[in-house]
Amino acid sequence: MKHTVTSRLLGLLAVGAMLTFSGCETATETRTVDAKGPQAINTSAINSQDWANAADQLLNSLLSSNALNNAPHTPAILAVDRVINNTQLMVDTDLLIKKIRVALTNTGKIAITNTMGLGERAVVASEAAELDEMQSGKKAKILVPDYTLYAKLIQQTDKNGKIAQNTYSFQMSLVAVKTGLTVWEEEKQIAKQTKGAGAIGW
Amino acid sequence: MKTIPQSIRLAGGVLAIGVVLFASGCASNVNSYERAESQAAPNVIADKRVITDNTLAGTVRVVSINQGTVSGNLLKIQATVENLRNSTRSVNYKFEWIGEDGMALDSANETWKTLTLQGRETTTISTVAVSPRAVDFRLKFRE
Repeated sequence: MKHTVTSRLLGLLAVGAMLTFSGCETATETRTVDAKGPQAINTSAINSQDWANAADQLLNSLLSSNALNNAPHTPAILAVDRVINNTQLMVDTDLLIKKIRVALTNTGKIAITNTMGLGERAVVASEAAELDEMQSGKKAKILVPDYTLYAKLIQQTDKNGKIAQNTYSFQMSLVAVKTGLTVWEEEKQIAKQTKGAGAIGW
Repeated sequence: MKTIPQSIRLAGGVLAIGVVLFASGCASNVNSYERAESQAAPNVIADKRVITDNTLAGTVRVVSINQGTVSGNLLKIQATVENLRNSTRSVNYKFEWIGEDGMALDSANETWKTLTLQGRETTTISTVAVSPRAVDFRLKFRE
């Protein structure tokens, strides 16, 4: 009788151990989600949905302002100026700028020049223009931009007890080259509160 | 000294909790004031509604949708949205654009956005088509 009880106990222990170890062996599960949707993992940093929302809000503001209606010609030539990242995050600012570029080009109101401005695109385009000059012997005609686009990202962190709030400001300005006047400016903010020490927001 | 029966004390406790919960539920409600006779003349359009989530439809209601044109030829849509509940609610929404030929236009600004409304609050959400080819739109809501 005693032997039966002991063997049953051992059996239960074995089943428990199996369940414990099988719990540790959970297979990695990956699913594809909409990068611009609510399933995107929310963190205290800027996630894919935040970039998309910030770009969308800035675009809506620019297009609603009718600032491009006074362009000297259509499409107006736009050069993308510096994008200053004053956040603590190591991010590629093209996550914001590329979305703006694509959308503005699609409107048909803007053509973006690559022979001016910063970044690798500008370098390659400038070298191509120089090569063309050398081969053809003619001075390459470079279109002077009508507008320049300037952007800045700022992060402000506030803490109250166990709650931390990161407020990200996305600032953007459109400057008319001929006059030097800012024809449109906007600032959009995304605030994220994180409770506790973890990095995941809620 | 006369003691209060336990059942009455229990009922009193439940009532007190109910009052607290009711009061806290109303705490986030929004009171709003505006001009009695509006000077604005919005171009309100007739809309078709397809409801598949009655709970959601009972939480957030689209009051009206109006449209305009910006930057010369780009369609702008604005929807007035109302929280029908007495507490703060968050929903996700997205605008989609459709071209003249009925084809969906893949647009950079077609993103799900989170909208947080205080109790009984009414607000507006808007978007601008990034293509002059956009003639129709679809506004989607989800929990």
